[in-house]
Amino acid sequence: MSMRRGVGLAAFDNHERTAQQYSDLGSTILQTHISELTDQLLTFQAALKRFAQSHADEIRSDPVFRSEFVKMCSAIGVDPLASSSANKKGSFWAELLGSDVNDFFFELAVRIIEICRRTRDENGGLMLVDDVKARINSVKGRPPVSQEDIVRAVNTLAPLGHGFGIVRLAHKDFIRSVPQELSRDQAVAIEATQALGYISVEILRDNLGWETARCIAVLDDLVASGLVWVDEQVRPKEYWTPSWIR
Amino acid sequence: MATFKSPTATSQSASFPFPSIYSFPPFFTRQPNGQTWTSQLSLWSSLILAYCRYNRIWRIDLNTAIGWDLFNNKDINRSLKLETCREILDSMVKKGDAEWLPGSGTNAAKNASAIIYWRRPEEWANIIADWIDSTGQKNAILTLYEIAEGDLSLSQDFRGIDSTILRKALDVLIRRGQAQIMKSADGEEAGVKFFGTQ
Repeated sequence: MSMRRGVGLAAFDNHERTAQQYSDLGSTILQTHISELTDQLLTFQAALKRFAQSHADEIRSDPVFRSEFVKMCSAIGVDPLASSSANKKGSFWAELLGSDVNDFFFELAVRIIEICRRTRDENGGLMLVDDVKARINSVKGRPPVSQEDIVRAVNTLAPLGHGFGIVRLAHKDFIRSVPQELSRDQAVAIEATQALGYISVEILRDNLGWETARCIAVLDDLVASGLVWVDEQVRPKEYWTPSWIR
Repeated sequence: MATFKSPTATSQSASFPFPSIYSFPPFFTRQPNGQTWTSQLSLWSSLILAYCRYNRIWRIDLNTAIGWDLFNNKDINRSLKLETCREILDSMVKKGDAEWLPGSGTNAAKNASAIIYWRRPEEWANIIADWIDSTGQKNAILTLYEIAEGDLSLSQDFRGIDSTILRKALDVLIRRGQAQIMKSADGEEAGVKFFGTQ
C-alpha cells in the first residue's frame, strides 16, 4: 500500500520537497564557495595592496619593474588605469595603489602632450615614440620611462578625444597629436620615408608603382600638413621626415 | 669650392658644435609650409645666436657671412640662400634678437649688416654694472675702450664688445641713473662715470 502511495498525488509533494532540499543544499554550497572566494579575494587584495605599497617607489622609478607589474595586473584581468576614471570616488584600484601608478601615467601623458605641442610646427603633429622618449629621458633627475610607458600613457588620453593616438608605420610607433587622419597614400608614403629618411616622386613611383600625378599629389599633401620638409637643393626634390633629425 | 671660415676661426681652439638640425638637408631650403617655416625660423635664430655667442661675433655682414660654415654645410653640400638668410635676420630683428645697421652695404635699399644680440643691451648693462661693483670701480671714470679692452675686463663676457652694443648698454645704465657720460672740453665723449647699483 505504502509503496503505491508514491505514485499518487502526494508524490508531487515528495518530489518538490526533494528538489527543495537539493536546492537548499546547492545554495549552501554556493554560499560557502562565495564566502571562500570572498576570503581568497580579500587575501589577494591585501597581498596586492601590500605589494603595490611596498614597491610603489620601484613601480614609479624602474621601467622594467613597472612593466612587469602592469603585465601582472593585466594577466589577472585588471587594468590599473582603465578603472581609475570609472567612478568619482576613486576606483578600487586607485585606492589600492594609493594613486601612485595612476599619477605616474597621467603625469607622463601631460609631459607627452607638452612635447607634441611644442614640436607640432616642426613635425606636423607626427612624432616617433622613440624621439619623445629621448626628450623625456634627457631631463635629468627623473626616473627613466620606457617606450611601453609612453604608449600606455598616450592610450589613457583616448577618452579625451583630442586626436592623440598611436599610429604604427613601418614597424615603428608614432604619436599622432593632430585630429586629422592620415590618408592611406600618406601613411604608405610616410612609411617609405623610414628607409632612407626621405622620399621623392621617383622613389614613390618606382617602388610603389604609382602614377607620377599620384606621387606629386601625396607629396604636396604631406608638405601642406607639415609632415615632411622639402629639400630643393637636389634633383629630383627630396621630401624628408623630421623624425630623421638626429 | 671656396673654403668657408668664420672671422674668429683662427682664435678658436675647438670649433662650434653644430646641432643635429644642421645636418638635415631641408634645413637649408626655405620651407613652403607656413607652420614649418615658423619652426625653421626659430631653429635658425637659435643656431645663429648660439654660433655668434660661441665665436663672440657681434655683427653679421650678410655678404661675407653667407660664406661662413654657419650657412654652408660642406658635409652634405647644402647652403642657405642669401634672401632666405635675410628673411631670417629680419625675423630676428622683429623679435629683438638683432638690429639692422643703417646705410650698410652698397645697396642702400637692402640691409646688409646687423648687430646680433646674443645678449640684449639690458643684460649687458647688468653684467657691466655687476663688474663695476665687484671690481671696486664705483665712481671711477672709464673710457669705452677700457671697458671693452682694459686689463680688468680680460676674462669678462663683454671682452671686446662691439662699441655700438656697449653704447646701448651704457644708455640703459644712464637711464637707470647708474652711469653718466663725461665729455671733454671740446664736447667729445671722453668716458663714462659709474655710480654703482645702490
